Amino acid sequence: MKIIKTMKKLSTGVLPALMVSAILSLGFATSATASKWDAKMTPDEVEATLDKKFAEGKYSPKGADSCLMCHRRSEKVMDIFKGVHGAIDSSKSPMAGLQCESCHGPQGKHNKGGNEPMIAFGPQSTLSAEKQNSVCMSCHQDDKRMAWNGGHHDNADVACASCHSVHTEKDPVLSKNTEMEVCTSCHTKQKADMNKRSSHPMKWNQMVCSDCHNPHGTMSDADLVKPSVNETCYSCHAEKRGPKLWEHAPVTEDCVTCHNPHGSVNDAMLKTRAPQLCQQCHASDGHASNAYLGNTSQGASVGGNAFTGGRSCLNCHNQIHGSNHPSGKLFQR
Amino acid sequence: MKFKLNLVTLALLANAGIASTAMAAGGYGLQNANTDKVKFDKWDCKRCVVETGVNGTVGVGVGYNDSDDIRSANAFAAENEFTGKVDADLTYVGKSGYRATVEADNLGMENGRLDINAGKVGQYNLNLNYRQIATYKTDSAMSPYLGIGGDDLTLPDNWQTAGSSQDMSELYNSLNPLELSLKRKHAGLGFAYQGEELWSTYVNYQREDKTGLKQASGSFFNQSMMLAEPVDYTTDTIEAGVKLKGDNWFTAINYNGSVFKNAYSQLGFDNAFNPTFGAATHGYMSLDPDNEAHTVSLMGQMNLSQTIMSARVHYGQMTQDQAFVTSGYGYQVPTESLDGKVDITGVNLKLVSRISRSVRVNASYDYSDRDNKTNIEEWTQISINDVNGQVAYNTPYDITTQRAKLGVDYRINRGMKLEAGYDYRTDERSYQDRETTDENTLWTKFRLSSFENWDMWVKGSYGQRDGSQYQASEWTSSESNDLLRKYNLADRKRTMIEARVTHNPTDSLTLDLGTRYAIDDYDETQIGLTESTDLSYDASVTYMLSDDMTLTAFYNRQNIESEQAGSSSFSAPTWTGVVEDQVDVIGAGWSYNNLMEKKLRLGVDYTYSNSDSNTQVTQGITGDYGDYYAKVHNVNIYGQYQATEKMALRVDYKMEKYEDNDAGNDIAPDGIWNVVGFGSNSHDYNAHLIMLSMSYRL
Repeated sequence: MKIIKTMKKLSTGVLPALMVSAILSLGFATSATASKWDAKMTPDEVEATLDKKFAEGKYSPKGADSCLMCHRRSEKVMDIFKGVHGAIDSSKSPMAGLQCESCHGPQGKHNKGGNEPMIAFGPQSTLSAEKQNSVCMSCHQDDKRMAWNGGHHDNADVACASCHSVHTEKDPVLSKNTEMEVCTSCHTKQKADMNKRSSHPMKWNQMVCSDCHNPHGTMSDADLVKPSVNETCYSCHAEKRGPKLWEHAPVTEDCVTCHNPHGSVNDAMLKTRAPQLCQQCHASDGHASNAYLGNTSQGASVGGNAFTGGRSCLNCHNQIHGSNHPSGKLFQR
Repeated sequence: MKFKLNLVTLALLANAGIASTAMAAGGYGLQNANTDKVKFDKWDCKRCVVETGVNGTVGVGVGYNDSDDIRSANAFAAENEFTGKVDADLTYVGKSGYRATVEADNLGMENGRLDINAGKVGQYNLNLNYRQIATYKTDSAMSPYLGIGGDDLTLPDNWQTAGSSQDMSELYNSLNPLELSLKRKHAGLGFAYQGEELWSTYVNYQREDKTGLKQASGSFFNQSMMLAEPVDYTTDTIEAGVKLKGDNWFTAINYNGSVFKNAYSQLGFDNAFNPTFGAATHGYMSLDPDNEAHTVSLMGQMNLSQTIMSARVHYGQMTQDQAFVTSGYGYQVPTESLDGKVDITGVNLKLVSRISRSVRVNASYDYSDRDNKTNIEEWTQISINDVNGQVAYNTPYDITTQRAKLGVDYRINRGMKLEAGYDYRTDERSYQDRETTDENTLWTKFRLSSFENWDMWVKGSYGQRDGSQYQASEWTSSESNDLLRKYNLADRKRTMIEARVTHNPTDSLTLDLGTRYAIDDYDETQIGLTESTDLSYDASVTYMLSDDMTLTAFYNRQNIESEQAGSSSFSAPTWTGVVEDQVDVIGAGWSYNNLMEKKLRLGVDYTYSNSDSNTQVTQGITGDYGDYYAKVHNVNIYGQYQATEKMALRVDYKMEKYEDNDAGNDIAPDGIWNVVGFGSNSHDYNAHLIMLSMSYRL
């Protein structure tokens, strides 16, 4: 529901005019009504009926032509032919197979007044997300969706049709201009993060969530597009990949040890600033162990010495991501 | 009532003779469709009308940008006073399934994007894309160096070195402003082909150029100069793969290759100070070396009625063999270049099984290994202090991580779902203070949506990490305090609880409230990070006042607090540090559609955020690190008028009011005696952008 409202709001702001009409015609604008049969049947009854119909396989006598006898007057229905799911020349399109009934299931007695349930999609459908999605997943089974089942959005009962629409020329959720708002309508922590002092440039849509995460799930942590956090970071920050002669252990192990990629109150998305961040791990005898008090009543100031002012530890240990200099052990050159 | 319903369900299921087959597959997948009775010869699809031709919109825009700080270009994507853009959103549909799309977004501006696809639906697709990302830090960093943008930074001929930056007589005469910004230009070409049955293949090539300047520091002994490091990177990436699939299985093999090249291998810089140890007047640092990474992955999935099994194995190699920087080094290097080699191996196995209509189990095992095969050699370290010519050995790090997860979700009824799980993780590392760490985590989540118009969930987790004996000084060059526990290796108790409630009192109103609290307790740590907490809550409202008018509002507050301890006597803790961060984000939006006979759309979006951080360190007396905040207001007002059936005019007004500071950096270039800095790098500006655009519908 939140996603739908977000799409509706976006339709008036960010999206090009064409897409607006696409969204509005999808019925997002009006408070969409549930299907006719929902008034008379409980969700469990609807599901059981659909299971039975699917197993019996009483498809219509003339395919789409049977369905469109009644449904052709709906602009939304006919919009299927504008998009790839309505393509009639492709052997892989649903229109080349069981046509409308590929997705909506066998007609059965639905044509007698429209009271018998058909498989319906989207947030107004009472059918479980898992059942709805089984239709989509039967074709969209590939390396980009292989971890859907049991994944983050599957567990949260998100239906494919909660985000995607196929009865349209272009699926509006695929626009990068709306992606941030669609994702952050639920992921509110990340919404706050990208407004912090430093973050990846997501606030202005230069980067989007799907640059790093796959909303359909992956075999990796946090549904990252690469096998690990570091490999995901390296796909844009290849200069940090090395391997360099002198490695900084937490850097090679996990970028997230020091950075929060969604955003931070500190510059450079650091979890904590230097020298505190460095002193959480470094306490060798000498300057790394000292207390750096900053501004004190005794006249010291945070900007007055090189341990706290300027770039703090990085004033000297500049090569904090590792050094390839023969004399770079202490990350100074 | 519920019991009765279940009887109905059972009856229906029992009646459907082959229902169990369909149920077994868990849904309405096409491959399970019972099509025995379909008379396809009668399915003509006469009413299926695919219209051919081009439609969509094209648009142009011009903008006026009023800003005196380049930082506003992050928000406006405009560097100069005037800016222009081209937008397009076009679709061509031809006969026999030919289809092409062109999407251009802000093309001509600093965040421009272009995506062109052409092909035949379900057969092949050719893709061309372009994308630019630019980030701006400041245009007023002050530096006395000449040759900025190149790899050798020199001081003016008349430069007078001194023991302290305050005594450098030519410093203020030599300062010039420079811009710290980075620009990525990313272009790609891709081709995908789908075979008639079973298989498909794809190949994508991308090149990204990243250019600009970033902040660096060059140092001699205990004296340092801020430097502008040139960035001129080129990264080429190739991805290719073959996929095969059948009704209930799927497999793919993918290759990913990435080649990184840095136009500069070193950065040379003059010493602004009087020479100290080693009498160095010119120094060199090594810049990020050229490198390559290649990964092959094989993945597959089987759908066995109620169970889905997925697996991925991948093998990768990262290599780096750039010649060492030896300018000014003065010692023998054991090899000309590192010949660095890291092998990455990964295995991921996952199983999801529906045991009954209400219970589903998932289990996974992940293995990942980073094996740094780089040779260990002896490297002489040049004078960084009064001890010269020490030798050191490189420590190529290895890490092996194994994780196992087991989870169950139980659908108690249609509106109630309980999930629980156990995660285990073990890490094995080389050359670190602790050889192994083990972590056990239990978590659970309960979701309740059975009350009409209410949806709520609560989630909690508890994890404990411990491991092998901690040896603080095992691999450090200078002896470390024995009580130190690095936070990524330390014993830790991690607790998290999160809850969210969404309520729709009416169809047009959505209220959403959430909160999250997490605490990391490093209970065995005396020196280092001892505790961190993170509390956040947020609330949002979406109100559709009418079919045409929407109001939204959002508020978030987050408090992060970390505590640490240190010892200046190299024994028990003598000082403590506390960092308190607070972030507030407020957003509101209003949009009004279909005004003036459905010709006008209006909208306003506003966001405000305040990131604030406060650091205090106590050793006898307490000191603080001064103000550290960033406050930003953004306003975006737009109006779009449909002037004719085909043509629309649009005005966008954007405003950014930004202010930040950093007490440690709000200082003059000579504010610290042993640092030559860039000067204050805080911002305080008010910037505006007005954009007029016109779009035409084809």
